[in-house]
Amino acid sequence: MSTAATAVPNPASRRGIIEWLTSTDHKHIGILYMCTSVFYFFVAGLLAMVIRAQLAQPGLTLVGPHAYNQIFTLHGTAMIFLFVVPFALGLANFLIPLQIGAPDMAFPRLNAFTYWIFFFGGLTIFSGAFVNGGAAASGWFAYAPLSEIRISTGGGQDLWIIGLLMTSVSGILAAVNFITTTFLYRAPGMTMWRLPIFTWEMIATSLLILMAFPSLAAVLALLFIDRHFGGQFFNASAGGSPVLYQHLFWFFGHPEVYIMILPYFGVISEIIPVFSRKPIFGYTGLVLSAFAIAGLSMGVWAHHMFTTGVVSNGFFAAVSFLIAVPTGIKFFNWVGTMWRGSLLLTTPMLFAIGFMLNFLIGGITGVMVASPPIDYQVEDSYFLVAHFHYVLGGGSLFAIFGAIYFWFPKVFGKLLSERRGKWCFWLLFVGFNTTFFVMQFLGAMGMPRRVYTYQNLPGWGNLNLIASIGALIMAAGVLVFVWDVIASSISRTRASDDPWGGYSLEWWATSPPPEYNFTSLPPIRSERPVFDAKHPDLARLSQK
Amino acid sequence: MNSARARLLFGSGLLLSTAGCGVYALPRGATTQALVMHQDWTVFTLAGSFVAIVVFALILFPLVVWRRRGDEYPPQFRRNNKLEITYTIIPLLMVIGLFAVTYHNDIIVEHLTAHPQNTIDVTAFRWSWLFHYPGTAINIAGTPQAAPQMVLPIGETTRINLTSVDVNHAFWIPAFLFKRDAIAGVDNSFDLFPTRMGLYRGRCAEFCGLDHALMTFTVRVVSQEDYARWLRAGGPAKVSAKGASS
Repeated sequence: MSTAATAVPNPASRRGIIEWLTSTDHKHIGILYMCTSVFYFFVAGLLAMVIRAQLAQPGLTLVGPHAYNQIFTLHGTAMIFLFVVPFALGLANFLIPLQIGAPDMAFPRLNAFTYWIFFFGGLTIFSGAFVNGGAAASGWFAYAPLSEIRISTGGGQDLWIIGLLMTSVSGILAAVNFITTTFLYRAPGMTMWRLPIFTWEMIATSLLILMAFPSLAAVLALLFIDRHFGGQFFNASAGGSPVLYQHLFWFFGHPEVYIMILPYFGVISEIIPVFSRKPIFGYTGLVLSAFAIAGLSMGVWAHHMFTTGVVSNGFFAAVSFLIAVPTGIKFFNWVGTMWRGSLLLTTPMLFAIGFMLNFLIGGITGVMVASPPIDYQVEDSYFLVAHFHYVLGGGSLFAIFGAIYFWFPKVFGKLLSERRGKWCFWLLFVGFNTTFFVMQFLGAMGMPRRVYTYQNLPGWGNLNLIASIGALIMAAGVLVFVWDVIASSISRTRASDDPWGGYSLEWWATSPPPEYNFTSLPPIRSERPVFDAKHPDLARLSQK
Repeated sequence: MNSARARLLFGSGLLLSTAGCGVYALPRGATTQALVMHQDWTVFTLAGSFVAIVVFALILFPLVVWRRRGDEYPPQFRRNNKLEITYTIIPLLMVIGLFAVTYHNDIIVEHLTAHPQNTIDVTAFRWSWLFHYPGTAINIAGTPQAAPQMVLPIGETTRINLTSVDVNHAFWIPAFLFKRDAIAGVDNSFDLFPTRMGLYRGRCAEFCGLDHALMTFTVRVVSQEDYARWLRAGGPAKVSAKGASS
């Protein structure tokens, strides 16, 4: 019972590690994806702790500039490409076939391929740390000409490019698989308008991946050609354009932000109704808002380039503001779901609420930085660092913890501890806000991002120290989480099939689900068939 | 249960009270352009704080009022078309209003006067700056260890022409609330109209490699008479040496 391998009781899994290495079962692949991405979260989190130690006071010399540049490059790259995105892909791998009542994904072997190419892509990126010159050190968006070979001479930059190319191919193939599966493999009765919100959000995410990731693959390929085959695409003195790099990168990079948040909107939209004992409020509007966000997010990329002086700031500001509308709709959907509900503050629900509070700050500061006159001051400052951490840390990361606490019993058949879970939540919530709220002030005052040291200006040392203390509190929260996972995994208590009173079909299967998932399915007449089957009296009233 | 509620209220109250401070975190701008950017910042911070307070209240109110007390199921309502249309239109109107403010302000900030009184060509390189005053022999170049100093006259428009000879950089003077990227192959221009004399810090804002953190400069805003005298003397050396130490 103690290892992950034996936690999934299907006959094939007893063959141990070989089965895990060769499995095409969507649940195995989902678990591999999620465990690998959480591993990278720990690595990237440790790097963040080094950053906060270095910046705790002005003029510290814990690491030198070159090491510091590698550390923040790997921190950003790992958090974005090896944690937040692949965790969503893993969760979707595990959940989508279950939520739509299917036995597996449409292309199981392709599915295994997407995981393994992601796995080796991550290793490739980090292997740069062991080559001459060290790992990539030009930031997670690796602007050319800084990332060109005449400046970044080391092989670490090449390994970074190749590793990212592998993960982008992985994402594209996974998106194809998700779309095919949801369109073609739904159980009888599971119409599109009865899909659980998480599955809907993954459809929108997959479409975004298909539109955005090719641009990433293209810009990486062009950069590689520049570096090794005299491409000159981004070399101004040979007729190339550094601005072209920015366009291509952010044409991927901004949709990427929504690729990192839409799945977690889905997670929140699954957790809140269950612990409010109500159906999601405004289902249709919620689904449409996901597609509005996906569509608009393709037209905002140059708000990352307001300060270049060569883009239409008015146009990109306008479209960026518009995204606030469908995002706001989602907040009203969640509030409407809690309204007059019967709320139970379990750990997953706490994380969902933490998500809303944090993400709201990220959203509001997002509207602020979308205004060019504000952006001129805060672009590339710690205000921006605070903004996107409120979105990705306070938002996505909190939703990931919510998802882990919510679906852990389904995935491994063990419940995590509510008591430890609440400790984990409060430490993370307090630590997170302590770290990142003060960064907004630092940025407004003029502290730039990506500096390994800073001058001792009034207030800077204290605010940075507060941020570093917050990071320690967050680390304590993560340690409580690790302790919780270990303690709950070795506990003999097994979770029931439906410990929360869940709505969607994964709660109909056993915990953990068997190979091919279902022996029977309840009738599917709404987006919450399990609730309908268990509460026929209430189901009749709520379906109109 | 009560203590959990208290913690929630305390946590969110703390967030709200600090949100209000955001208006005051920004430096008081020292150019006419900065005045406009400061107005923009104030409008957005106040609007944002208002939205934050309303939505925080909407999120926290159900947690306080509708906690689970028994095994009863609440009413299973799913939609309310009028409400949904309302909560779509209100944010839409808000962002349209904010866009009008932004658009108006951005035009002022980006406006280039037809005949600026002064011009400075700024070239960014790894990892310092070259300030060239066209029509004079004044060239002020720095190093990461010795930051160069730019001298500007108060009450006149100075046109900055900005470019880079290697990687992307960004020319940022936090007290002017303004930055612009320096990109090889791109000739960027913007106007500065300083309104307060003094010594200000400037720095590179776009990550440019090893010594990015040390790529600083200073700006000294002087009276028009002092500026003219400084130009005539062609003597940046003694001023820039002083700036480097700050």
